[in-house]
Amino acid sequence: MDAECVSLLPGVCEVLAASGRSLPDDTSLEKLLDWFTGLTEAGGSLLDACPCLLDFISTVVHNTASDPGVLSFTLRLTGLTAATEDGFQRLQERSVLNQVFHRQRWQEAGLWEDPCFRIGWIQGLRSMLRHPKALGFFVQSDFIDPLLQLQTDASLFVASAANQMLAHILLFFQPASSPGCNGADEKEEDGDGRTRTTSAEYTSAVAAISEYLKASLVPQKYTKLRQSLQILKLLALLLARAGPPLWDKLLQTVADSLEELVTAGCGQLTLPLMDVILAACSRSGADERVLDQHVLDQRVPDQRVPDQRLSRLLSSMLNVDEPADLVHAAAAFLRRGHHDIVHTARAVRILLLPLHIVTGQSLLGTNTTADERQSSMVEQLKCKSSCISVICVCLTNTPQITLTPSDSLPCPPQLIVIAVLSLLRICSGSSSSSSSSSSSSSSSPTGCSEVCRNVIGSGKVQKCALEALTALSSSPGAKDAISEVFTVLMQYLDNPDSDATVLHKSYQALVKWMSVSPDLSVVTDPLRRGLEEVVKKRVCDMRWEVRDSTVEFLGHLAGVPVTGTPALLGVRCTTPLLKEALQDTESYVRASAISALAKTLTHSWQQGAALSQEETEIVSRLLEILSQDTEGFPRRAVVRYFISWFSLRSSSSSSSSSSSSASLLTQCVRSVLSQGSADLDWEVKVHTLELAELLLDEAFSGHRGYGKDGAASDRTCTPPTHAEGAESQLAGVVELGVISALLSGLVDCDRPVGLRACRLLVTLRDAVCPPSPDATAAAVATVSCELPGWGWGQEVRKTLGMKGSDIAAEESIGGGGGVNEGGDGASVHVSVCEALTSLGLDERLKVLTRSSDHVHNSPLSLLQDILTASAAHTHPDTQPGQEVIVDCY
Amino acid sequence: MKLLYCLSGHPTLPCNVLKFKSTTIMLDCGLDTTSVLNFLPLPLVHSPRLSKLPSWVSKDGSLNLEKELKECAGRVFVDSQPEFCLPERELLDLSTVDVILVSNYHCMMALPYITEHTGFTGTVYATEPTLTIGRLLMEELVNFMERVPKAQSATCWKNKEIQRMLPGPLKDAVDVWAWKRSYSMPEVNSALSKVQLVGYSQKVELFGAVQVSPLSSGYSLGSSNWIIQSHHEKVSYVSGSSLLTTHPQPMDQSSLKNSDVLILTGLTQMPTANPDGMLGEFCSNLAMTIRAGGNVLVPCYPSGVIYDLLECLYQFIESANLGTTPFYFISPVANSSLEFSQIFAEWLCHNKQSKVYLPEPPFPHAELIQTNKLKHYSSIHGDFSIEFRQPCVVFTGHPSLRFGDVVHFMELWGKSSLNTIIFTEPDFSYLDALAPYQPLAMKCVYCPIDTRLNFHQVSKLLKEVQPVHVVCPEQYTQPPLTQSHRSDLMLELQPPPMPYRRCSVLSLPFRRRYERVYILPELANSLVPSEIKPGVSLATVSAVLHSKDNKHTLQSVPKPPPAPLSKKRKRVLEEPPVLLAPKPLLSGAVPLEAFLATLQKHGITEVKVEETADGHILHLQAEDTLIQLEEDGTHIVCDNNEPLRTTLRDLGEQRESSS
Repeated sequence: MDAECVSLLPGVCEVLAASGRSLPDDTSLEKLLDWFTGLTEAGGSLLDACPCLLDFISTVVHNTASDPGVLSFTLRLTGLTAATEDGFQRLQERSVLNQVFHRQRWQEAGLWEDPCFRIGWIQGLRSMLRHPKALGFFVQSDFIDPLLQLQTDASLFVASAANQMLAHILLFFQPASSPGCNGADEKEEDGDGRTRTTSAEYTSAVAAISEYLKASLVPQKYTKLRQSLQILKLLALLLARAGPPLWDKLLQTVADSLEELVTAGCGQLTLPLMDVILAACSRSGADERVLDQHVLDQRVPDQRVPDQRLSRLLSSMLNVDEPADLVHAAAAFLRRGHHDIVHTARAVRILLLPLHIVTGQSLLGTNTTADERQSSMVEQLKCKSSCISVICVCLTNTPQITLTPSDSLPCPPQLIVIAVLSLLRICSGSSSSSSSSSSSSSSSPTGCSEVCRNVIGSGKVQKCALEALTALSSSPGAKDAISEVFTVLMQYLDNPDSDATVLHKSYQALVKWMSVSPDLSVVTDPLRRGLEEVVKKRVCDMRWEVRDSTVEFLGHLAGVPVTGTPALLGVRCTTPLLKEALQDTESYVRASAISALAKTLTHSWQQGAALSQEETEIVSRLLEILSQDTEGFPRRAVVRYFISWFSLRSSSSSSSSSSSSASLLTQCVRSVLSQGSADLDWEVKVHTLELAELLLDEAFSGHRGYGKDGAASDRTCTPPTHAEGAESQLAGVVELGVISALLSGLVDCDRPVGLRACRLLVTLRDAVCPPSPDATAAAVATVSCELPGWGWGQEVRKTLGMKGSDIAAEESIGGGGGVNEGGDGASVHVSVCEALTSLGLDERLKVLTRSSDHVHNSPLSLLQDILTASAAHTHPDTQPGQEVIVDCY
Repeated sequence: MKLLYCLSGHPTLPCNVLKFKSTTIMLDCGLDTTSVLNFLPLPLVHSPRLSKLPSWVSKDGSLNLEKELKECAGRVFVDSQPEFCLPERELLDLSTVDVILVSNYHCMMALPYITEHTGFTGTVYATEPTLTIGRLLMEELVNFMERVPKAQSATCWKNKEIQRMLPGPLKDAVDVWAWKRSYSMPEVNSALSKVQLVGYSQKVELFGAVQVSPLSSGYSLGSSNWIIQSHHEKVSYVSGSSLLTTHPQPMDQSSLKNSDVLILTGLTQMPTANPDGMLGEFCSNLAMTIRAGGNVLVPCYPSGVIYDLLECLYQFIESANLGTTPFYFISPVANSSLEFSQIFAEWLCHNKQSKVYLPEPPFPHAELIQTNKLKHYSSIHGDFSIEFRQPCVVFTGHPSLRFGDVVHFMELWGKSSLNTIIFTEPDFSYLDALAPYQPLAMKCVYCPIDTRLNFHQVSKLLKEVQPVHVVCPEQYTQPPLTQSHRSDLMLELQPPPMPYRRCSVLSLPFRRRYERVYILPELANSLVPSEIKPGVSLATVSAVLHSKDNKHTLQSVPKPPPAPLSKKRKRVLEEPPVLLAPKPLLSGAVPLEAFLATLQKHGITEVKVEETADGHILHLQAEDTLIQLEEDGTHIVCDNNEPLRTTLRDLGEQRESSS
């Protein structure tokens, strides 16, 4: 620990013990605690490092008039200190622990009323409970009962902390024989050197807690529902992580209560109950695949809760009366990904039933077991709000349903896709029967009209169904539905009432489904024409969100591989639309259009095709945007456009790329570098540096010293031949403006820009500037770059310590009112190598790597703040709040 | 009787007559103009294409109406001045109509036919914008018709025998003999001179019997719903209302509460087309066409949705880079329409109202005009032809495409697929409207914008205002024919609404239970109420009921003139009837035991008492008489024994009054 911090700590403790009121802000205590926690985790003894804490704790806890916040802090600090056996011992010696956690004393002092205090009590104990001695203390002090009471505390945070704490006790001290704990010995040491023992204390804690669980699980009254809820949460937590003995014990204790609860059919408890049962099942022998026989044998057979019993519980859950609960239970079951065929089949049927009712598609086949539930489900679906929520749950699960083994499915997966499609049709107001002409399903049924009415025009269902449809593209047999999917999606894209999000999702679905099969011959010509029309219309939409999604879609479209058949929309159609979108009033749309154009042109770049007139026009328009656009997004996109052009071009064989294209690109790169590095937006600058990096990579990738990780071990043995190359390469790079961009980035006030530039400069230096002067170095050293007499140039010159005439000239200019003679100041030329070596890059890199708030976040600063605030508090003449104003920039 | 005569079958162009408390009130006077779709367009300049259309000849050649019927792309059209389908005039004597209440300017187009040729002598009530814009619409209509007069008036095809053999929609056209040509400007002026202006919530007394009052309906400038009420009954007439925030003042819903009957007409004609979506569709198609170098034609009325379209375009043209595209608005009343809209401050929505007091005009179309982006002309002749520049956007009428300047643009632009016609008015089927222009290369976009209530909104509204009964056109009680599965596109109410169709006469399902009667103070003073149970006092009144102008007043009985000291003895015999002192009021039930005792006292001993559901029956066996004692009545049944009855009555009364 910092010696300075240690020296400040006693003063801080004094301030805290005196009163908590004078703290700089209410997060100070938390920050202080974080720091202490960090120290503990680092493995040091807190009391050794800060002996004053012991006095602090005993002072504070003896004063019941202390601020509850400070007391709560003290409780947690005490727990932290007692987390090691040594710390525990020392606190015991001072008989502080009893005082600190003496609940009754606090209750009498009226502090227990404060939830922040109660949570401090719980968290303090929790931090402490990391060794058997602490457990002994905990059990002997009879803390289990109050903790169980806190489980249903009025404050949700307290209740949840109590629950976590209970789980911690049972799980942390459980005998290490669970399969996750590498071995089945009664006693073993884990990584932290803690000894886990089945002590008498632990046994009594388990007994007390499980007795409580058993007694209070089934709610006696409606008001006790919350207690049951909390217990179920706790059980789910425990069962998921408990080792076999504890698992068995717990389940044995609560199995009867669980059964009772299941039959009680209390709607609000369905989901937590399902969580518990599923957590139990996931560890049960029936589903347990990791459990080896050895462990299974260890269980005393007649003490185990039989798998059949769990399975029965699960069956009852998948058979509750309330349709909405049923659907939620089935969804929860399916999400857990169990492999139990019988229950999976049942859950699938439950989840398909609402779709079956709404769409009229015979998803459940001719099997009539669903009929008993059908009428109650129909009733449920007639209510609009519950209809929409149930349908959405079912839709969300359809993709997973299609992936379940076919023996659990009541219908082929394609039919589920068809059902989602017909639901989409119903939502948009056109029934499935009216569209049967284009439908491949011969039956073309219609669903229950009273239910259909609830989903007509529902944006929520539409979005959900489109998401499901997108995911269904990877379901088996998806190919067969492709043409119908396209028809429905086209309807959605064309529908004037489609919400912007719905359109966006339709586009996403379309892109996803296009990649289902590279052969797009199924897409008929009318569909293609329709798509073209609709896209043309949507790029003129009034809502910019829609224009944006459309333009984005055009970009994605270019990325979809197509074989054999012509692409859905040819470049001849999309490029003019995208060009038009470059003029859009909304900056997001312009940005999307730029990236979409880049995607559209990817192919021709890769092939190195000659530039068309159109592309040349686009390029000049993009440069215009970079220099003139008032918004950052399009400018960022422009730089990215050139990045991808440059990287794709260079990845192709350079021979085939036409010279006109190459020269235009070089020209562009030069202006992008100069404009991008002078941009006001830091992201544009970072992107520009990325482009600079590509140029450096290209120029120096052959050089041995050029390593991205800065590993420059073998740069001393760089062969001279390379050095000669280096000279010309460096000159080329300078000529393109890369060095200027890097240097201007280096002195940029935005840290990410400076950091990136600095890293690149270090890499460059290591590659081209040999540490020992030799012939090659001399050649390289001749390469110079220009430093302008203003802005970043001035800054760099200052760093280089260029004194004398230059600075004098600048000063005189500065004195003359800041106007440069001739406008661009007196620029000078410096040797690149010289600059690189004398800029102190390594130092700079170190500074830049640290986060910008590292000073303010240091513990030292925190301690100082506390002291200063207290000083300000005691001297009321100093203006309060001044400090705060300075902080808020 | 409360009767409702339904004279129009068109749900959005209603014409109903309500007989209510001795007044006869016509509710709206809509003119069904869809009949003009059966006619050939009236071109402004000679159209070789139209004039060369072949005459229609029946398949067997037996029928040849060469002069009257022409064929175009398989459809038959009447080559004559277009005619309109009038409201039914035979169902009742329209000269008995006392007042006509107009709800909006679209629903008054048949006014001249009613006020001028039926003997109508009443008053028409409408708001100021309704009258002003209604006049503009009528003027435009007359202008469109009169500037290309057509001498020919085809009537032969209307012959029943012939009509039966005609193809397509002509064969099924109903009441063709009642179809009439457009009215003339003098008729319009005369009709509109009978209009009396009213303001929202203004109460107008009709003969003291009922009070009518217009409420804002939110659909168009000055559009109104009407409340027709007496002291104890309330009928609401809802016609063409909108809950969307467009330019007019928002709809007044709360005043519709507590209606006995709510007559519901003028719902949206496009229940599946959401106006916002359509507006978006309109804009994107417009931009798409202009970008491709084509022209856009928007057939429209000179007032109404066009204000919203222009406002929407005002915001859109900048973002779609259409700043340089000219927008033309061509109508004989274009100028007046644009200007009037800016001055009806009190009829506008709140947002626009507040602008009236600022230097900026409420509608942004003023700025479009100032910046020369929107230009308006009275017709294609004159200035327009000089300034006309393409590609452009033209707003012009008539939406039926049968007359007006739009006919010219159809002929001009129809051949190029670059151009687009965008239908925004919902009144006409666009396919029918385009029929005489086929084959057509021009792109057609149908985005009808109808801001009137949709079924979802109306069911919410009815839930809110809770009328006892709803009367509506039969079209609203079932899903549209083409979308029979859409059970959400109909009115579902409990009790079900009463449907009507053209020529129905409905008896409205509420009874006049009470009438308000005034009592004069001096008469009231003379009353001596006696308390019959705590808080309830009764008094008998003897008075003269005076009824005038549907107001009823109780006046004191005029004192008989003091008997003239006549010497004629004969007169003395005719003494004024002696006013007997009022008997004590009877109330309560006859106590059985006490009554039996009284009967016994009076010698009636053989009484058989039988208990019934409502009381008792006493059988006086010796007298062969029955006395039914019920909670709210006592009946004495005895055959022709008046003295006995009187005796029994008095006995009963004694018991009663003493109880």
